[in-house]
Amino acid sequence: MLGKLNNNTATGLRIAEAHCDAPCGVYDPASARIAAEAVLSLTKKILDLKAPEGGDPKAAASFHNTMARYILIKEEQAQLAKEQLLVLWTDYFKPAHLEKYPNLHDTFWKAAKLCSSVKVEVSLEHATELMDAVKEIHGVFWATKDRDVAWYTAS
Amino acid sequence: MRVEFRPPNWTERLLYFAGRRIAFLVEGDSMAPTLKDGDTVLVRPRADINVGDIVLADHPYRSSVTILKRVARIADGRVTLAGDNEAASTDSRTFGPVSIKSIIGRVECRLN
Repeated sequence: MLGKLNNNTATGLRIAEAHCDAPCGVYDPASARIAAEAVLSLTKKILDLKAPEGGDPKAAASFHNTMARYILIKEEQAQLAKEQLLVLWTDYFKPAHLEKYPNLHDTFWKAAKLCSSVKVEVSLEHATELMDAVKEIHGVFWATKDRDVAWYTAS
Repeated sequence: MRVEFRPPNWTERLLYFAGRRIAFLVEGDSMAPTLKDGDTVLVRPRADINVGDIVLADHPYRSSVTILKRVARIADGRVTLAGDNEAASTDSRTFGPVSIKSIIGRVECRLN
């Protein structure tokens, strides 16, 4: 138990930390927006991808490979969107913000649930709703910083 | 409850030289004004702890880190830790109560 402790090189003494863990303080809903946008894009790609006709094994393999990649990345990005939203919710937003924006918890809760939905489903409707939710969070976030940051998307 | 830390008496010094106390360097200001960054403290390993004691504990998530906090509550084998300086402390408010097994020892006195 005591063997793994850090030592101070100058004094040779073991260190007892009486700190505050330092968060970097850099937050931006853009990271959630990019992930949500990727989910929307991949949902469209999955819906548009046509299965090959005829019995060509190469075409079938290519189709399954592409579909599997779309699905994999969609799930990854949906999870990432959720994580980025939870970081904003739990680390950035403070009780004072809640007083000013009483719907904050509800907004984040619904947005996080949408991340779960779009991960599991192939739903253009839910992917679009997730983008709307992230847009709403973008608005609240920048309002708490008294900054007017326009909403934009990459695609 | 505040514990004033005076320089160690001869018994404590003797116990330190006998290896029954471990010296630790305090880093950070979460225990200010009681203990400040750069202070050295003597810790009694495996001591019984009570509410109000300052203890050394393993950090719940970072295995190589030991933390110095005051005991705010003990219940069901779990200890709630709090820094004296709330504004500069990461403690049970963030990581919740810690297991009583993660307590390494009790701070007995300040060396400097």
